[in-house]
Amino acid sequence: MTAQPSVVTTDVVVVGAGPTGLYGAYYAGFRGLSTVVVDALPQPGGQVMALYPEKQIRDVAALPSIRGRDFVANLVEQADAFHPTYLLGRQATTLTHDDGLPVLTLDDGTVVRAGAVVVTAGIGTPTPRPLETGGEWLGTRLSYFVTDPSRHAGQDVVIVGGGDSALDWADALASIARSVTLVHRRAAFRGHAATLERVRSGNAAIHTDTEILGLIGDLDSGTLQKVALKSKNGDETVIAADHVIAALGFISELGPLREWGLELSGRSIAVDRAGRTNLPRVYAAGDVTDYPGKVKLMSVGFGEVAIAMNHVAVDLDPDLVLFPGHSTDAA
Amino acid sequence: MAYVIGANCIDELDRSCIEVCPVDCIYIGERRSYINPSECIDCGACEVECPVDAVFVDRKARKDPALAEFVEDSVAFFALPLPGQSDALGDPGGFQKLGPVGVDTEFTANYSA
Repeated sequence: MTAQPSVVTTDVVVVGAGPTGLYGAYYAGFRGLSTVVVDALPQPGGQVMALYPEKQIRDVAALPSIRGRDFVANLVEQADAFHPTYLLGRQATTLTHDDGLPVLTLDDGTVVRAGAVVVTAGIGTPTPRPLETGGEWLGTRLSYFVTDPSRHAGQDVVIVGGGDSALDWADALASIARSVTLVHRRAAFRGHAATLERVRSGNAAIHTDTEILGLIGDLDSGTLQKVALKSKNGDETVIAADHVIAALGFISELGPLREWGLELSGRSIAVDRAGRTNLPRVYAAGDVTDYPGKVKLMSVGFGEVAIAMNHVAVDLDPDLVLFPGHSTDAA
Repeated sequence: MAYVIGANCIDELDRSCIEVCPVDCIYIGERRSYINPSECIDCGACEVECPVDAVFVDRKARKDPALAEFVEDSVAFFALPLPGQSDALGDPGGFQKLGPVGVDTEFTANYSA
């Protein structure tokens, strides 16, 4: 992706690049609107990509059975007809209004000025699940991501977790770090078998059925020295460590949008039948919304976001009619 | 709709489900874990993760009274005050925030296979 300017102006900004948001991007384009799509995760696809990319989806009209990953690729392709701008790996943090129009700020400082916002945030913002111990080292010698592998050059690195991220990072750091130790609480890994095989055949030390007992070092000088491990059968081991990477998955919650002044209904945003929230020019669709009779399914989200985008189109240009016409009429 | 933890979890309490729940809606009692039915988003991540096959989707219980007991028990864990407590747990909004509850429903506490 090329560098984005720090202020982006668009007709509509979609918050959340899950299935509903991606279809919203298509629909906005179909209505002639320029579109920005924001997501905290680095890839589009929301829950489908984060939770079940390899599973078959069977409850979307006209698709008898499709793998999650392919389903998302199709949605991206469909939206690409109208060239939406993706701002991924960035969380939408604040929403204000300027002269009646929404202004969305992202955690990297990007400001999106839009004619309307459509919130398709699903189950909300994913935040890394914290390591049970050693929180005081977070940001110095404990991290939840590998943003720059070269930062770990020559280090003794301990990676905690059993999923794809833990395995990918163990694999990626094998040739960069001085040593890699992979620690997982269970015997079996969840990640891809092929990656596990590469990690197993490499130099990484693997401790399964093992938990992190503590991080040992001099906090004042920011020098981590060792990590204490405890195995299921009670054995305690201390290993050399300069850095710990905890890859324990994500917990999602509504996050910053709780503070946007939206009327909420539990963990959801209350909307009317057009997808309007209580805030001007702010709509919501998909799993993040609630209204009497709501059913949280992708099929429903697709319908909701189509309704919302048609209303957005008319909000932005009152000369337009709500009914969009048929896509079959388009050239 | 929600996933439910059944009899196999009792005295097993592996916690693998808790590690993969994307909304942190699985809570530890004393002998077993409980999925909060109104916080569960029905993703099914816990079902495949459980090493003792204790997790099932509530729809399965419609024709199986042995499972239905645990659907009911899982609702009760949150909706009714637990033994020795004056208020119901309700929807705590995440196990990480709450920590282990340390007590079971009467049904689970007295359960024997």
